[in-house]
Amino acid sequence: MRTALHAEWTKLRTAAGPRWLLLGTIVATVALSTAATSMATCTAGGCGGDTTRLALTGVCLGQATIAILAAQTIGGEYGTGMIRSTLAAVPRRGTAFAAKAVALTGVVALGGTAAALGSVLAGRLVLPESGDRALSLAGGPTLRAVLGTVLYLVLIGLLSLGIATAVRDSATGVGLVLGLLYVLPILSATVGDLHWRRLLERAAPMSAGLSVQDTTDPGGPSLGPWAGLGVTAGWAAAALLAGGLLLRARDV
Amino acid sequence: MSAAEIVVTGLHKRYRATRALDGMSFTVRPGLVTGFVGPNGAGKSTTMRVILGLAAADAGTALVAGKPYRSLRHPLRHVGALLDAVAPHPGRTARNHLLWLAHAQGLSARRVDRVIEQVGLTPAARRKAGGYSLGMRQRLGIAAALLGDPPILMLDEPFNGMDPGGIVWMRGFLRSLAAEGRALLVSSHLMSEVQDTADRLVVAGRGRALADAGVAELIAAASGNRVAVRTTARPDATRVLGRAGGAVSATGPDTVTVSGLPADRVAALLTHGAVPFSELTAHRATLEEVYLELTRDAAEFRAATPTEAPR
Repeated sequence: MRTALHAEWTKLRTAAGPRWLLLGTIVATVALSTAATSMATCTAGGCGGDTTRLALTGVCLGQATIAILAAQTIGGEYGTGMIRSTLAAVPRRGTAFAAKAVALTGVVALGGTAAALGSVLAGRLVLPESGDRALSLAGGPTLRAVLGTVLYLVLIGLLSLGIATAVRDSATGVGLVLGLLYVLPILSATVGDLHWRRLLERAAPMSAGLSVQDTTDPGGPSLGPWAGLGVTAGWAAAALLAGGLLLRARDV
Repeated sequence: MSAAEIVVTGLHKRYRATRALDGMSFTVRPGLVTGFVGPNGAGKSTTMRVILGLAAADAGTALVAGKPYRSLRHPLRHVGALLDAVAPHPGRTARNHLLWLAHAQGLSARRVDRVIEQVGLTPAARRKAGGYSLGMRQRLGIAAALLGDPPILMLDEPFNGMDPGGIVWMRGFLRSLAAEGRALLVSSHLMSEVQDTADRLVVAGRGRALADAGVAELIAAASGNRVAVRTTARPDATRVLGRAGGAVSATGPDTVTVSGLPADRVAALLTHGAVPFSELTAHRATLEEVYLELTRDAAEFRAATPTEAPR
């Protein structure tokens, strides 16, 4: 496992794609977050709404580049046939797959941390004094929101890795993940029945997972921060399991 | 039996309606180049993928160094393989491609530079593999196969895309690897590519080994006991040799081919019967003939129903 992990790390390090995508994630997240925060209207009493969540809005965009990065780590190998080199070098497929997942987790955690901290920092610079207090990392809920956002990005990466492995193609994998992330919320908004709509919102990986960013009204109609992230984790686990089992069972 | 061997026994594999492997069996021995020849779709690539644990056989076993490939800890130190239809990431340099492979086997960057030098890629090592010609990519593939300094090498169509200079280099290189005591399995759909290089041949057709023998042995078997005679008196020669029990057939205006009689007996009979002849040669089949003879049925089968295995 150690050598397999070393190999996967070298792969990520030596291709230009992951580097640019990670940089893109950070830039896109911070940029959108800053834009969202700058539109907040603050009074002496506060900025209204959930400032922390607002300052981390950019993740909605950053998750897309993470999904692409993750899907490419294995989908690209299917495209070139290099997956055969990978599995000839590490014939235990569970190990090969786990090494990919762990290396990806490390890279996304790194990029995600930069993106989340960058967003919060930008928020503090943009907001007046009163909003500043809400964005202090010393505050428990804000710290939780930042940490949760990093974990959320990691889970989206793993979800994308699992799906791309199952479908053996980057483009298809990315399409499915983005559909799951962005189309599901749109669909749920069209559902008239309140009960079903709420159920869909609680089950969708994005709306459920991002409740980890809530600092003003945790609980409420949503699942609560950690339970919400747990739903996303469930999606990621299911995708990894499906991808892993298919990788073990199929010829390459 | 030495440890450096591939032993394939009774491999069967179906892809839906296609029988890709149908009882493939052969061995690869150390110190020799074993040519793996046969028409496209004969099962060569599938066999190699089964040996490497990339594809699962429905029945049969494939052992490398006495073990299933998947049970090897650092497999590239035991078996090096060049696979068809495997390209490095186009955006990664050749050196970095080899580097991740080395890291997967617990090998150092020093080993990477050594194999790059061995295949003559040093000047291009830090260029992106996407810009490589097919011949250069083959060299990179050979470098990857040599990375773990393995006693067993398995090369699928190594001559593909090589220019004449590259082919000559490859032949010499394969010979020198075998001379170091390694076992080599080299596949090709063209007999001419392997005939000067191989010591042994596995001829594949319709998913099984039609022959698994030494090159000399195969040629002797296909040549039979045949003698070509050049004579101006063809009817006389036919009569004299036929009476002695030879099967005579005319193969040209002034040549006949005799089978069933050794060359010295043919000479004695003709001299004794006062039949003039100007040339008498033992017929020697070419490998090309052996190959065509053995694969004829397989090729016909292929023409009737496309059986190209999915890659």
